[in-house]
Amino acid sequence: MDVFVNLTLNGLATGMLIFLLAAGLTLIFGLMDVLNFAHGGLFAWGAYSGIWIYSSTGSFIIGMIGAVATGFLLGWITEKWIIKPVYGNHVQQILITLGLMLVLSELLKVVWGPNQISASPPDVLKGSWEVAGIVIIKYRVFIIAIGLLMFLGVQYILKKTKIGLVVRAGVMNKEMVQSLGINIQKVFMFVFMAGAGMAALGGVLLGPYSGVIHAGMGMEFAILAFIVVVIGGMGSFPGSILAAILVGLSGSFMAYYVPDLSLAVNMLLMAVVLIFRPQGLFGLKG
Amino acid sequence: MLRLNKKTSYLYLVAALFLLIFPFVYESRTLLILLTQVFIFAMFAMSYDLLLGYTGIVSFGHAMFFGIGAYTIGIFMKSYEPSFYYLLLAFVVTVLLTGIISFFIGLLTLRLKSHFYAMLTLAFSGLFLVLAEKWRSLTYGNDGFTFRVPDLLKDRTDFYLISLVLMILVFLILRRFIQSPLGRVIQAIRENEQRTESLGFHVLHYKIIASVVSGVIAGVAGMLYSISLRFVNTSVFSIDITLDALLMTIIGGVGTLVGAVIGSGLIEFAHHWLTEMAKVHWIFERWIIFFGIIYILVVMFFPQGIVGTLKNLKFRKNNRQESK
Repeated sequence: MDVFVNLTLNGLATGMLIFLLAAGLTLIFGLMDVLNFAHGGLFAWGAYSGIWIYSSTGSFIIGMIGAVATGFLLGWITEKWIIKPVYGNHVQQILITLGLMLVLSELLKVVWGPNQISASPPDVLKGSWEVAGIVIIKYRVFIIAIGLLMFLGVQYILKKTKIGLVVRAGVMNKEMVQSLGINIQKVFMFVFMAGAGMAALGGVLLGPYSGVIHAGMGMEFAILAFIVVVIGGMGSFPGSILAAILVGLSGSFMAYYVPDLSLAVNMLLMAVVLIFRPQGLFGLKG
Repeated sequence: MLRLNKKTSYLYLVAALFLLIFPFVYESRTLLILLTQVFIFAMFAMSYDLLLGYTGIVSFGHAMFFGIGAYTIGIFMKSYEPSFYYLLLAFVVTVLLTGIISFFIGLLTLRLKSHFYAMLTLAFSGLFLVLAEKWRSLTYGNDGFTFRVPDLLKDRTDFYLISLVLMILVFLILRRFIQSPLGRVIQAIRENEQRTESLGFHVLHYKIIASVVSGVIAGVAGMLYSISLRFVNTSVFSIDITLDALLMTIIGGVGTLVGAVIGSGLIEFAHHWLTEMAKVHWIFERWIIFFGIIYILVVMFFPQGIVGTLKNLKFRKNNRQESK
């Protein structure tokens, strides 16, 4: 029972981190038709800048805010100078965002050095609770809570606000939205920055969770996020959280019982989805 | 571009002859090894260009075929004796493995939008990297292993010549392939997929054929790579190898085989030179940054690469003269 609960919590926490990355990816894809291969780079930048601010100020909350701000800034720069000039050309977009990923992760090594940086949770979240004889690590619960909050927040924005309405309409048909007199460029920018901010938040949350951060983690998580986006369906926001939890849980259980196959199972899952339902479990377009 | 005029053909011939007699006139071990490396990566980049430049498919997992070739030859040479017979066997196994895997991946994703192929190949090459790390009894994990090569390939000069000849062969084969009716269809797919489909060609078949040919050639390049090092480790599966191919193709010029060769030369020499420069200033250790920035700029402003841009200039000049 102890093992089961802990594996579940572990899987949920990892799933939430992947969700933070995948949500931005799927929304950006749905709205702008851009698959952002640099998303993992934004994630890693969030982690480095957030942990750096956290360790120099001592406040994790400031660290989180700093990470999100970094994400916004990088998202703004990326959208304006990297994505916009090649808008509409798929091959060029894919190529250019991968190039950006390369530059972003190398820049990390220039700014903070090539070595791993260690991180630990703030004092409030250190240690664990004991509920009915089961040890529950506080920080994992914290990640799950933040992830759910972000999900509810974004869901609220999408369903209840004007900008959310425009974004949802844009995912369905952006020419129509444009012809109704809405400046879709501004919406693109907004969604891109929000997605980058969420990825950066995921990055800084990962730091104390795994204990160390390194420049290669962006790519590692980006691959998981791609798997999630394919399973959940490109452009589907609810799909991204369900698929992320699925991938997180299967990863944590497999890592415990059959450690060698943990990545293979996720790939297999993706292959099955691609064969039988290429638009993803919850996807709108293929 | 398909019909090469006489001048260009002579130029290639002169370049090939020059490279052929080069090791006998100028003796430098470092340069010899570096040039061998250039030829091997040129093959790899040309195979990549078949996908990116001619079919319009973006793959981010080309390293997986390269790595399969590299590991196959390594395992055969290590587990059995390093004889010519096992070399041939390793070659056959590489061709079969890379062919089957590229066929399977192509079948899964090529019917979808281009993003899927890029993503899935990235994920699959990640899977192979993990496999090479975990399957310790066969691959010796992260550290890799050294192995002996057949006597035939021991001499550096001989190996240089073999690589050069193979590169020229791959070049000729690919050029023939591209100029064949099948190659024309593949290029038509790049230009306009819907139109090709509605002309009655089964687009998926042609795309899969391109991906299989490209995968097999990449596997052969990987074989040569690990023979040249006499060592193989998990780095052959890393994303860096794919990025090398991508940089070479993009900077050299997409959609031209010569571009891939020139790109390979540029990147390998620049890599060598910048690593030397690392002694002067530490920033040169992060040489990838320079390539990354150049790469982004090239994608943005010169999407045709060096060879393509030159060709366009020449084309325009000719047009101007004719109109006068």
